[in-house]
Amino acid sequence: MEKTVYIRLRHRVQVHPNDCITVSKIAQIVAAQPLRDRIGNLQIYKVQSSDKNIVVIDVMRVLSEVHKTDPEIDVQAVGPAQAIVEIVYDRRTYSSALFALVWLLLFVGAALAIMNFHEDVSMQLVHKRLYTIITGRTSEHPLLLQIPYSIGLGLGMILFFNHLFKKRINEEPSPLEVEMFNYQLDMDMYVAMKENKESMKKIDDH
Amino acid sequence: MMTINILIAIFMGLAGGLAVGSGFVAFLTVLGIIPRLTQLTKTVALIQAYEWAIVTGALTGGWVSLRDTKLYLSELILVPIGLINGIFIGMLAAALTEVLNVFPILAKRIGIADKIVILLMAIVFGKVAGSLFHWLYFVYQ
Repeated sequence: MEKTVYIRLRHRVQVHPNDCITVSKIAQIVAAQPLRDRIGNLQIYKVQSSDKNIVVIDVMRVLSEVHKTDPEIDVQAVGPAQAIVEIVYDRRTYSSALFALVWLLLFVGAALAIMNFHEDVSMQLVHKRLYTIITGRTSEHPLLLQIPYSIGLGLGMILFFNHLFKKRINEEPSPLEVEMFNYQLDMDMYVAMKENKESMKKIDDH
Repeated sequence: MMTINILIAIFMGLAGGLAVGSGFVAFLTVLGIIPRLTQLTKTVALIQAYEWAIVTGALTGGWVSLRDTKLYLSELILVPIGLINGIFIGMLAAALTEVLNVFPILAKRIGIADKIVILLMAIVFGKVAGSLFHWLYFVYQ
């Protein structure tokens, strides 16, 4: 019974180029002490320069490596069926010119989008009408309504994203963070299926 | 004959209102602004009161826009109304999934996940600047 090993692959692991991926790096292991170290040091994969950003290690690969060293070991795999290994090359520094370009793109795009929206829903007419309803008089340019409106527009967006210039209003994740997380999860799922040669078999594969 | 016409008009008005009203609520629900506000203010228990706020707000808006109501109030009341109106539209704009979907991809593609708040501010300032430009210059053209 002492030869039972519990293995749980990590969801996502970052390694350096040319690292050796050992079991202890990509998985949590529960086992009696000497066995635990022995399995933890098993080499699963050597990162090569031909690898791109991502290598997917299937749990079966870990199992077969363990089985190779000692067929007597009873491995219990829990959790995800694969670990996504992300090879981190020297962190690519983005140029500030590119960043400024993207910033301007978003700025001008947002400005034009809101103007198109105002025209689309005839907001000028609605504001003029609202001015008449409230005050009983007419105004061609009800700026007393429109300038606070413009400021409120920004406040509403900040409120929704829960970011007051990096200062959070409360501890809960903002919709954007949830969206980023979902996006990453979708990408991971895609990679786990597509980059993992074992998870799909086509008819012409052998 | 007259009675039938009136009945048909009542029925059509009711049907049109039903369609627009349910569409309006569905729109708000899809964007998830009310859950977001309750999450921010920790008032999930009061969600029914918020539903009534939406319903009575829509009814009031419908009434004053369809009738020639004039309230003869001070101009200064327009300032808070404008601000609240802006916050509401701002939340609508922020909730539109286009904005939410663009950011993760942008952040991934050009590797600026840590600078995402600054990009967010680009959109916020863009909206404010675009809106001010629209009211202070564009409509005069």
